[in-house]
Amino acid sequence: MLGEFEYLLLSAAARLGDGAYGAAIRREIEGATKRRCSIGALYTTLDRLEAKGLVRTWMGDPTPQRGGRQKRMVRVTGEGVQEAKAFYDAVSRASQGVSWAADRARGLS
Amino acid sequence: MKRVGWWWLGFLARALEPPERDVVLGDLAESGAGFGQAMRDLLGLIVRRQIGLWTSWRPWLSLFGVCGLAGLSLSSIVFRLNVDLGKYLAHYLTDLTDRQEVAFFLCMSVALLVWSWTCGFVLGSLSGRAVWLTWTVFYFVVLDSAWARFVLAGNIILRNPRTHESLLDSLQGTLRLLTATTLPLSIAALLSLFPALFGAFVGVRWRILAVRHAYLIGSVNTALAILTTWATGWYDPAHQPLRWPGVPWSVRLLPFLLVSWPVAYLVATACRQRNEEAETT
Repeated sequence: MLGEFEYLLLSAAARLGDGAYGAAIRREIEGATKRRCSIGALYTTLDRLEAKGLVRTWMGDPTPQRGGRQKRMVRVTGEGVQEAKAFYDAVSRASQGVSWAADRARGLS
Repeated sequence: MKRVGWWWLGFLARALEPPERDVVLGDLAESGAGFGQAMRDLLGLIVRRQIGLWTSWRPWLSLFGVCGLAGLSLSSIVFRLNVDLGKYLAHYLTDLTDRQEVAFFLCMSVALLVWSWTCGFVLGSLSGRAVWLTWTVFYFVVLDSAWARFVLAGNIILRNPRTHESLLDSLQGTLRLLTATTLPLSIAALLSLFPALFGAFVGVRWRILAVRHAYLIGSVNTALAILTTWATGWYDPAHQPLRWPGVPWSVRLLPFLLVSWPVAYLVATACRQRNEEAETT
């Protein structure tokens, strides 16, 4: 089972698709959670996910915006998608019938 | 962020592996974070990475095996060499011939230099990026542990028995103690700590030596252990007027063996790498 931050990272990487790399994922997570995401948490979690085979990372091309430094590109693997789906399903099931989830569902509809 | 800020970030980022260093500095440049924020982010990652290093057995072996076992013995040898060198200042006499004197000091000095380099290399090789911490521990163990043992045993007193004045009572005394315990001010300490520092640099970069180099260092270490055991045998009982008691060769050899155990690791890793390379080709 994934951890909360692992799920956030996988979701952000999946949403970004081919444009998923460290700084972009960080922005996505901060935008979604409205909280700061530290570089330390991001890269140590990314290493953990890669060790589990849930993401694949490689070095991307350097850009002038980054002072000519490389990016660490990220792609979610099939196994990563399965794990993220399992986590989402578990949270959805666990949230059924609770007041905050019901309010949220009404708000969305 | 100003140029000096980037210099500091680049300096700190050296604690990270080179590819990650590049990526993280790039992320910080892209985010446009201020110096304080960037520094916090970078330090956070460095701390996490440093903690991660200690989940492996290697830094622990360097801490207990090299800093503890070898470092304590090395400290005793440094202390002993300092005392032996001190006779030229205190003018106490020995029955040694000039040739024996030269042979003893040459032997001890070269042995100290080689053992220290070997300890430093294995420390760097085992610790990797945790070397700054294990090196600091090693430095203070070699510099201070023998003195500390004598102070704790009451052989060296920091308080004047007549005036009951402590060395720590005055600012001058405190500073003297502080410099003596933090700086390598003696010849023997210099002979030990600089080669060890150089060895640690090489160890972090190379990690494993070529087999022929490992065998060479192993042979030199063994030869020096035998020579120093032999030389200390005729050095101790030659002191005047109260002759120091002779010590059996096995007891004299023990600290030299403890201090040179890292060479066994060095040879073993070199041989293992050669075998692995032979299997892959």
